[in-house]
Amino acid sequence: MSDVVILGAGISGHTAALHLSRLLGRQHRITVVSPNSNWNWIPSNIWVGVGKMSKKDVVFPLAPIYRRKGIEFVQAKAVAIRPHGDADSERPAVDIVHTSAAGAGREQRIRYDYLINATGPQLRFGATEGLGPEHGNTVSVCTADHAIAASERLHEVIDKCRAGEHQTLVVGMGHGTCTCEGAAFEYVFNVDNELREAGVRDMARVVYLTNESELGDFGVGGMTFNDKGFQTTSELWTASLFRERGVEAVLGAHVERVEPGTVHFETLDGEHHSLAYDFAMLLPPFSGVPLAAYDRDGTDITSGLFAPSGFMKVDADYSGKPYEQWSAADWPKTYQAQGFDNIWAVGIAFAPPHQISRPRTSANGTPITPSPPRTGMPSGVMGKTVALTIADRISKGPMAVAHQASMADMGAACVASAGANLRTGSAAAMTMMPVVPDYSRYPTGRDLRETRGELGLSGHWVKLMLHHLFIYKAKGLPGWHLIPE
Amino acid sequence: MPDNPPIPVADLSRAPLPTEAMQRYRRNPVVQTWKFAVFNARIMRMVLKGKH
Ligand SMILES: Cc1cc2nc3c(=O)[nH]c(=O)nc-3n(C[C@H](O)[C@H](O)[C@H](O)COP(=O)(O)OP(=O)(O)OC[C@H]3O[C@@H](n4cnc5c(N)ncnc54)[C@H](O)[C@@H]3O)c2cc1C
Repeated sequence: MSDVVILGAGISGHTAALHLSRLLGRQHRITVVSPNSNWNWIPSNIWVGVGKMSKKDVVFPLAPIYRRKGIEFVQAKAVAIRPHGDADSERPAVDIVHTSAAGAGREQRIRYDYLINATGPQLRFGATEGLGPEHGNTVSVCTADHAIAASERLHEVIDKCRAGEHQTLVVGMGHGTCTCEGAAFEYVFNVDNELREAGVRDMARVVYLTNESELGDFGVGGMTFNDKGFQTTSELWTASLFRERGVEAVLGAHVERVEPGTVHFETLDGEHHSLAYDFAMLLPPFSGVPLAAYDRDGTDITSGLFAPSGFMKVDADYSGKPYEQWSAADWPKTYQAQGFDNIWAVGIAFAPPHQISRPRTSANGTPITPSPPRTGMPSGVMGKTVALTIADRISKGPMAVAHQASMADMGAACVASAGANLRTGSAAAMTMMPVVPDYSRYPTGRDLRETRGELGLSGHWVKLMLHHLFIYKAKGLPGWHLIPE
Repeated sequence: MPDNPPIPVADLSRAPLPTEAMQRYRRNPVVQTWKFAVFNARIMRMVLKGKH
């Protein structure tokens, strides 16, 4: 019997768990360790954040699904990995701390033969003074609960507009090194839509505050689209949407601190600015979740497994060569941790080898540059790929060749909806292939046939369809595995 | 609305605005049904093309 332990039940970890339960017989044990009892379809938090969906539309409890699939679920957070075991046993282990109401705080060490680190991001609101919903002065849509609070605040502001008070709404990135620009982009157009539906758009100034140096960068250095026989850019396409909707954009911005009602930021030219606001949804920068690693004798080997960012080092090129010299081949293919053939890191948890968007610093030396995104579709694909590798290693032996899924080979779709009405909704729908541009294969870095940007009602239908399909899939209902990641 | 000192807002005045015909196209149910099918086909093609 083999023990497979998966840390994290988000998009990548849950996908891996479902596939492993399908691929491995019940004689093997699959254990998922995750601090939350619920699964959350994070992309739809955007709709919760404007009040178009409720929390129950975007989360469901994991335990019944895992029970049905023969997966053990431990509601806990991992705090340390012992890849060589400990003084008692040379079997590798993970230290966990229980988080359920019943067992909160209880420490436990669980053994594994195969480990998947799918712990996603740590939301580092603390990186910017005054940022965040808990200890700061801004709202967020990163979790369903954050999104509920964002919606409440948004509707207070809308009520003020109705009462004749002009309001300023700021949406964007709360630090110069944030990623996930697509989420802020989507949220700003949902906010715009909400204001229009309430008939108060003229009472509101909407500002998109971003670390991208150009609109349409999205942390992937922008895209080239083929549009009616011309090559155009995601910058022009995005700018058109901002102009049409009257959303102001402030580019190349690093938020330095947020006081109640005022956001202070630096721009790439080194200037410092302040913007007074009534509503601010600013995303935090991400790092890896705090996980330590120890040798058998207790020596700290964290820096061997993890990059300084806290993300796990996998089969990527971390030599730190200059941005101009990187290539698509530097990106990981198997997600196997460096130095260990039984540990993998998938989704946001793996350390990207370098920036995709060109690194920039302000005139004062402040880094203002989007970090590489690892969105839902690639995260799911990585989870499945590693599940296939582990299933092969268990059934065919340890020499079984690892499955591969490089972000330089796979595509991603980003559908930013605005409004949730089947007849009047709209969306900016983008596809890119591959996510990491490969200039050795494509002159523009990406396949022009698949890399597209479109605006219209159909994008909204796509987003709604993805919402229902992925929740169906995540519930492991009949035929779930036929739905692609 | 709070009083704000000027901030460096990007100049989008040269960004193209959609024509009325384009706006109708974006809302036309027949066109959009076709677009919906094409978008899904593209996603499926990307999934199949991706080497995984
Ligand atoms: C508001 C928003 C909108 C988005 N919209 C889109 C979109 O439209 N399309 C798209 O493709 N992507 C979107 N994304 C990105 C997408 O959500 C992520 O790419 C995806 O969730 C990453 O999956 P993951 O498994 O790596 O991490 P997550 O889904 O975040 O999962 C991480 C899991 O690890 C658990 N965990 C945390 N710490 C520990 C620990 N110490 N031990 C064990 N478990 C732990 C967490 O509880 C969670 O279950 C959006 C993101 C946000 C924030």
